[in-house]
Amino acid sequence: MKSPAFSYYQAKDLADAINVKKTDDDAVILAGGQSLLPTLNMRLSNPSVLIDIGNISELKEIKVDDSNLIMGAMCSHSQIMNNKEVNEKLPILNKILSQVAHPAVRNKGTHGGSIAYGDPAAELPAFAVLVNAEIILSGSDGERIVSAKEFYKGLFETAINSDEILTSVKYPINRNGMKLFFDEVTRRHGDYAMAGLVGSIKQNNKINEEINLVFFGTGDRPNEAPKTCEYLLKNEYNYSDIKNTLKNDIDFASDISSSSDMKAHLSAILVGRMMKELN
Amino acid sequence: MDDLNQNPKLGAADRPNSYIGRSVPRERAKKLLEGKGKYVDDILLPRMAHLSYVRSPFAHAKIKSINIENAKKYPGVLNVFTIDDIEKVCTPWQGVLGHLGEMRSPTQYPLAKDIVRWQGEPVAVVVANKRAVAEDASELVEIDYEDLDAQLDMETAMDKSTKVIHDDLENNLFWTRTVNQGNVSEAFKQSHIVEEVTLDFARHTGVTLETRAIVADWDSSEEKMTVYHNGQAPHMMQSIIAKHLNLSEGLVRIISCDVGGSFGIKVHVYPDEMVTVAVSKLLKRPVKFVADRLESYSTDIHSRCHKILGKIGVDDKGKILAFEIDDLSGIGPFSVYPRTSAIETNQVLNLSAASYVVPNYKAKGTVVFQNKTPMCQYRAVGHPIAVAITEALVDKAANALDMDRYEFRKINLIPDNSYPTKTPSGVPLEDLSHEACIEKLKKMMNISELEKYKKESLANGKYKGFSIINMVEVTNPSPAFYGVGGAPISSQDGASIRLEGSGAVHISTSITEQGQGTEAVMQQIAADQLGVKIDTVRVTHGDTDATPYGGGTWASRGAGIGGEAVLKASRKLKENILNIAAVIMQSEVNNLDVQNDQVIRKDGGEVISLKDLAQIVYYRGHELPPGTNAELIATASFSIEGIPFVFTNSAMGCLVDVDVDTGLTKIEKFWAVEDCGTQINPKLVEEQIRGGVVQGIGGALYEECIYDEMGNLTNGNMADYLVPMAYEMPDIIVDHVTTNSGRSILGAKGAGEAGTGGAPGAIMNAINDALIPLNTQVTSQPITPEKVLKALGKI
Ligand SMILES: Cc1cc2nc3c(=O)[nH]c(=O)nc-3n(C[C@H](O)[C@H](O)[C@H](O)COP(=O)(O)OP(=O)(O)OC[C@H]3O[C@@H](n4cnc5c(N)ncnc54)[C@H](O)[C@@H]3O)c2cc1C
Repeated sequence: MKSPAFSYYQAKDLADAINVKKTDDDAVILAGGQSLLPTLNMRLSNPSVLIDIGNISELKEIKVDDSNLIMGAMCSHSQIMNNKEVNEKLPILNKILSQVAHPAVRNKGTHGGSIAYGDPAAELPAFAVLVNAEIILSGSDGERIVSAKEFYKGLFETAINSDEILTSVKYPINRNGMKLFFDEVTRRHGDYAMAGLVGSIKQNNKINEEINLVFFGTGDRPNEAPKTCEYLLKNEYNYSDIKNTLKNDIDFASDISSSSDMKAHLSAILVGRMMKELN
Repeated sequence: MDDLNQNPKLGAADRPNSYIGRSVPRERAKKLLEGKGKYVDDILLPRMAHLSYVRSPFAHAKIKSINIENAKKYPGVLNVFTIDDIEKVCTPWQGVLGHLGEMRSPTQYPLAKDIVRWQGEPVAVVVANKRAVAEDASELVEIDYEDLDAQLDMETAMDKSTKVIHDDLENNLFWTRTVNQGNVSEAFKQSHIVEEVTLDFARHTGVTLETRAIVADWDSSEEKMTVYHNGQAPHMMQSIIAKHLNLSEGLVRIISCDVGGSFGIKVHVYPDEMVTVAVSKLLKRPVKFVADRLESYSTDIHSRCHKILGKIGVDDKGKILAFEIDDLSGIGPFSVYPRTSAIETNQVLNLSAASYVVPNYKAKGTVVFQNKTPMCQYRAVGHPIAVAITEALVDKAANALDMDRYEFRKINLIPDNSYPTKTPSGVPLEDLSHEACIEKLKKMMNISELEKYKKESLANGKYKGFSIINMVEVTNPSPAFYGVGGAPISSQDGASIRLEGSGAVHISTSITEQGQGTEAVMQQIAADQLGVKIDTVRVTHGDTDATPYGGGTWASRGAGIGGEAVLKASRKLKENILNIAAVIMQSEVNNLDVQNDQVIRKDGGEVISLKDLAQIVYYRGHELPPGTNAELIATASFSIEGIPFVFTNSAMGCLVDVDVDTGLTKIEKFWAVEDCGTQINPKLVEEQIRGGVVQGIGGALYEECIYDEMGNLTNGNMADYLVPMAYEMPDIIVDHVTTNSGRSILGAKGAGEAGTGGAPGAIMNAINDALIPLNTQVTSQPITPEKVLKALGKI
């Protein structure tokens, strides 16, 4: 369990990091290392160089304005949890992050790393998809923005090009009347979920006008469930119907934590909890 | 309850330096917490090389060829060895013992020879200047395998159509035993109610914080082999290494540094560790092997893979008439050397129903081979299975009769005034206290409140359940455990104690320390019995060149056996000190005592410090009359005689919440009442119980070695193999009943395994109690949310 030999490069600034990345196809960005380093030690990958972006101060900033919250890629999970403005403007993030691993991992693990890595069982990618966050990428051709709904392509596959670095994620806030929900089912606190749900409901006069659901731990990427959302706009929650509709929305994939049947069941339970909590 | 010495044989509790029975803080804890512990991986020796093993990726395959040439050429590699090289310096072994009937386990080689039989079996070893380089080169060893059918499922092991793993055996049977007391079939006929259940237990493993590690250093000039090894039984390893490497046993030195947990995982002979010693001999230089976490999962022994059918017959008053079990266990391809892989099943047969009066008892155990990691003894060997099947049946019988579960137990438990007696299987029992323990437990748990809580919760759609269980724990084994069967495992332990010129007292003990506080306990016994301050006593352990001979630490034997040796040696030394002091102080011996590092006169007056006394003896011996017996060193040893084991007993209970939507179980509270005889350090006893319970929670709810249909271990890492963590731990409330063992002066039994043995049964019963209103039950451990939901018919 010793990683294969690699070299280490500490990037001076963003341009420097992009430059190195561009010239070496086998170079890999090192953020908090919480996902990358275990895969190296297990010899699942063999990079030539790790480009450490930990010293680029602009990537560690959290910016808040009236309608957006912009999270620098290198903000650690803990930094975000301890940020007063984030806790005021988007309190659900704190709730979500408290379920991401444990304090030691959260002190190192970064927002950008989690979004860029795109673990299908991770919480943050699903949340980014729910609110259709803007994912800001910088490459040799400059900056571009990809919406979260377009960002996740498949299992650990994202829209990031090989010469690009994810620099920040922009979340909309204060979306009038949108209520947010987060819950997940894990066997142990801090584990990746057997199934998890982030959802939102917009109501007018206590009537649901818009419902969004994004599941994690259920498939190869954050899973949206449009048919189920539609069903819920027209019908009361009903466990078996929801489970069936969810199966039409999502190709539930079993993993070591649970079978696909289990994931479908838990997803339906989570929807029930959401409808109860937000209605 | 804390801080009480209840053993009159040890003297009054209020005398000075009475440390036995008190929660004296452990000196060593500070060192470990500061990160100053010294583990095998901290050993750095000049010219030391590092090993990496090439392991079988297949559960069962023929080795057609091995090409090591490319690996050998890799920069930094010193050599690459296969069985052809290792065989020249290390002989193979066989995991069989002579005292438990026929065991049929074939010869096991230190590296796979011709055939690999589990995924993870070592096939070749790369020696390099660094571990990372050795791992690089391991990828260059080319092995051509021909896949063979893998025999994975223990239930099909004995089928005619199943592949036989060892050609020279006619089937996959390793060992079988039947116990038959009375006449069960007749008794079942006469029973008012007969209940049956089949339980299954998944394989799991010990997951020590520090993985297995060994440094071997062959000095060809002295023909001396020094081995740094994080094991539990240094003298056993000394004997085994000498035997298989054909070395003079006296020239093999085993040093155990700090050990980061062992749980029985580190008391066995592992092929990769034997090969490490062999490589040192071949290369005439020190070599290090540290198992990484991935290797630990696929090569540390597993345990608990059982399927057990149980049946209980009771009369209309609730008296148990008959008890029968049929247990099947799969142990991997070899019985593990030298303790064998029969013991777990043997314990299941010995210990099922062991807390109860059962006139008719029948038990059958069958142990078969599989192409999976070898299984062997892990903390609470066999107990979790025996306790779970017994207590599941007892609850079923009580419920079937509509009797209170506590009342049912009370009329069936072996009464406290009936010892000595025997278990239903015929094993001698003495000095137990089931009735006192369950009484105390009942009060602690406040059962009527729990019933109320259960009812109220149910009204709110919440499913809560609780349990009460009883158990015995095997501790302090006599030679009847292993020695009688031919294993080089000492049942005796020794202690040597000396007063030094500085007035310091130094003990050396053959018991080893793995983090549980052995040192502290020995220090307390010596200080208490000698009459010195705790800080005066130093302890050496874990070095075959420096300690008396003995068995080491396993089977909850350290305090009871090793502690008694320290007690006896301390008393001898005290006698010597008093005799010398009598001469110096010109007093009657009877008028003297040792207190607070001084010899005092009981009637007051002049004292002499132990330091002054020691300096007279060592430096100015001429001041003593010629012929004075001035030995300031004493040695003693102890082993259990006249009974195979010193049993302990406990009663446990737990309260759970079962979420019927998600299938998740939350343990809300856990209670344990333990009788381990004299508690030398109550805090250490309680932490043993708590730690044990947590390991039991692991087995009951989380831990499982999951294999795919090809025989690959699919979750051999800390992310996918779930161990319980702080967040999942309930409050564990511990109390005690004290019945001293009559086998020693100290009166201590063991306390290391009860929690692990009892918790799985307690948890399963509590869950099933919660599920009663839903008319279903769970019978398979770990009790995953998925299994709960399946039992509920939800998925
Ligand atoms: C024990 C444990 C438990 C965990 N539990 C959870 C959990 O419950 N939920 C959860 O969501 N996560 C969990 N994690 C993962 C944790 O949140 C990680 O921190 C996160 O997924 C990756 O962030 P990182 O900064 O560590 O990235 P790294 O490990 O450094 O990088 C991960 C990958 O992303 C790439 N990358 C990183 N940053 C960028 C960037 N700015 N631009 C382009 N590519 C980039 C890297 O090249 C690498 O391929 C857990 C981790 C551990 C060790």
